[in-house]
Amino acid sequence: MTLFIQQLFNGLALGGVYCLAAIGLTLVFGVLRIPNLAHGALYMLGAYITYFFLTTVGVPYIAAIGIAAIMLFIVGVGLERLVFHPLRNSPHTHHMIAAVGAMFFFQALAQAIWGADFRRMDTPITGELRILGAEISAQRIVIIVTAVIVLALLALFIKRSIHGQTIEAIEQDRVGASLVGINPSMVSMLTLGLSALLATIAAGLVAPINLLSPTMGDALNLKVFAIIILGGLGSLPGAIVGGFALAIAETMTATYISSAVGEAVAFIVLVAVLAIKPNGLFTKAVQR
Amino acid sequence: MNSVSRSRRRRLSAAAVLGAIALTATACGGGGGSGEGDTVVIGYTGPLSGGGAAYGENVKIGLEMAIDDLNADGVEVDGNPVTLELKSLDDKYAPSTAASNAQRLADQDKAPVVVSPNAGAIKAIQQINSGRSNFLVSAYTSDPAIVQADNPLTMMIPPNFESYAEEFSETAMEHGGKKLALLGTQSEYGQQWTKSIKDAWSEAGGKIGGDNSVDYATVSDFAGPVSKALSEKPDAIFVGGPSQPTALIMEEARKQGFKGSFLVMDQAKLDEMATVTKLDNLKNSVGVLPVSEYEDPGTEDFLKKFAEKAGEKKVPTSETALNYQGIAIIAKAMEAAGTTDDPEKIREAISEALPDVDDKYKVNGFPDEITEQGHLLNPNLEATFLNEDGKYTKVPIEQVSDEK
Repeated sequence: MTLFIQQLFNGLALGGVYCLAAIGLTLVFGVLRIPNLAHGALYMLGAYITYFFLTTVGVPYIAAIGIAAIMLFIVGVGLERLVFHPLRNSPHTHHMIAAVGAMFFFQALAQAIWGADFRRMDTPITGELRILGAEISAQRIVIIVTAVIVLALLALFIKRSIHGQTIEAIEQDRVGASLVGINPSMVSMLTLGLSALLATIAAGLVAPINLLSPTMGDALNLKVFAIIILGGLGSLPGAIVGGFALAIAETMTATYISSAVGEAVAFIVLVAVLAIKPNGLFTKAVQR
Repeated sequence: MNSVSRSRRRRLSAAAVLGAIALTATACGGGGGSGEGDTVVIGYTGPLSGGGAAYGENVKIGLEMAIDDLNADGVEVDGNPVTLELKSLDDKYAPSTAASNAQRLADQDKAPVVVSPNAGAIKAIQQINSGRSNFLVSAYTSDPAIVQADNPLTMMIPPNFESYAEEFSETAMEHGGKKLALLGTQSEYGQQWTKSIKDAWSEAGGKIGGDNSVDYATVSDFAGPVSKALSEKPDAIFVGGPSQPTALIMEEARKQGFKGSFLVMDQAKLDEMATVTKLDNLKNSVGVLPVSEYEDPGTEDFLKKFAEKAGEKKVPTSETALNYQGIAIIAKAMEAAGTTDDPEKIREAISEALPDVDDKYKVNGFPDEITEQGHLLNPNLEATFLNEDGKYTKVPIEQVSDEK
């Protein structure tokens, strides 16, 4: 039972990270209709910039994540302007190739600046909590709580604010939204910026329990694609449910079946969803 | 009209570019031959970008340091001074790319020796290095399959990893207990180690839990796999992959209350691990001896030069130190063979060159013989046990045969 509680919390923490990373990706898909393969690289860049402000500059942990998130927002906007916007009328393969190119560019950039070595980011949040006999580190509790708060704020932003509503409007009908005066180009920039910002928060949270390296985004990239396909491309609730479901499935199968199956479970789920319900759990996008 | 002239202009500029290239090529060829002494290219193909980049860079630093020192000392082959030059190509850890890189280095740059630090890549290179092309492969891998291949132009540098299993098991059992949990990495090499440890542990009369190996490169949070391994209540845990993630796993195990001993695979270096976690988390572990703990004649100077080159913070590892030794051996073998372009003769001369290598290049357990299959053997191989006081105590290792 202790093991189960322990793994449940480990799964929830992992789910929080998956969710924050997946939501950005699904938003970008909803608005720009492209699978942003550079998403993992933005996550990696976010982690490094957080590391830079925390360790090299010496600002407090939360502030470092905040500054890095804002910087990545700008990088996201730049990515949209310089890479995806000029390609908006080209076939879809061009976006994918451009995104892969951007991914390699960011990786090479990180390696040039910070080197290829793994780096460790220390967090001021230390200590363990005992919950029903299980030892849970405080950092994991922080991850779970922050993920919930950020997701709630995001939902509020999209449902209540004008700018957020424009994102949803464009997702639903690009032409219709333009007709009522929404500028799709602005919304595209906002969405990519937002997705990079969310990925940075995820990276900043998870970095202290893992390591930084220029390729740290690769594994996450695969997982978040599995999550948004599971949840339904472009669907916010899909990304949230998918993120937590996949993380818990992963930790539980690794615990009760074997680690090898735990690693593979994301892709088993992916294949199953594509075979049985190709539109994902929460069908929304992919109408056109 | 306009388009005709444009295409002609393009053709003209293409011809000009080609001409320029041809000119530079001849200029280079002329320069190489008439300079003072010859330049010999030492080829290197390794992962310089992607997930293995840190490893590939460590090897490269060792090669660069050796070549700088050798050139400063002066290498003389058959009465002529020779300048060594390193040429590195990135293979991103892919064996097929490594093989084509090696071919390119041998054919275009006339490299008599190509260094490769990855078993898969070396196996691919061994398909072409004596036949289609002709060059010596300086193999940095502890996988004995490399020498079992009976390739006439292979020099294997590190000790066979299978040598460690028995002594590691006995030491860990003595300081921990009989029950072992397996938590190594899922790479091919990690799995070979896991198997080797499993065999040695059961032979020593210990019990082994389920295989909890995880892929250190893709797991986002090690807490899950560690909790699972600890639920078996082990007395000792086998861990290992790259140093830094291994350190994180050990830290997590200590946090979750593990008090037993660790067996640390040779890929992870205890002193390098101490840069990402507290030394307290690493105590009671058996692993390979850190470079800085060696007492060879050249070790101290090597450490100083390494700190100058790579910075005080970076920990020198055996990837750097052993490849440093390796190039010095090759340079000496060239001198002994009296040739820089006949790999067979260079390979043959290694055994006679070993005693003549200058003491300054003996930094990390220097070999005194090379086996017929091309394995450099260090007579006093040692591992280490990091005790409760945080001190490295040496553990002598008896080397096993490379035969299957």
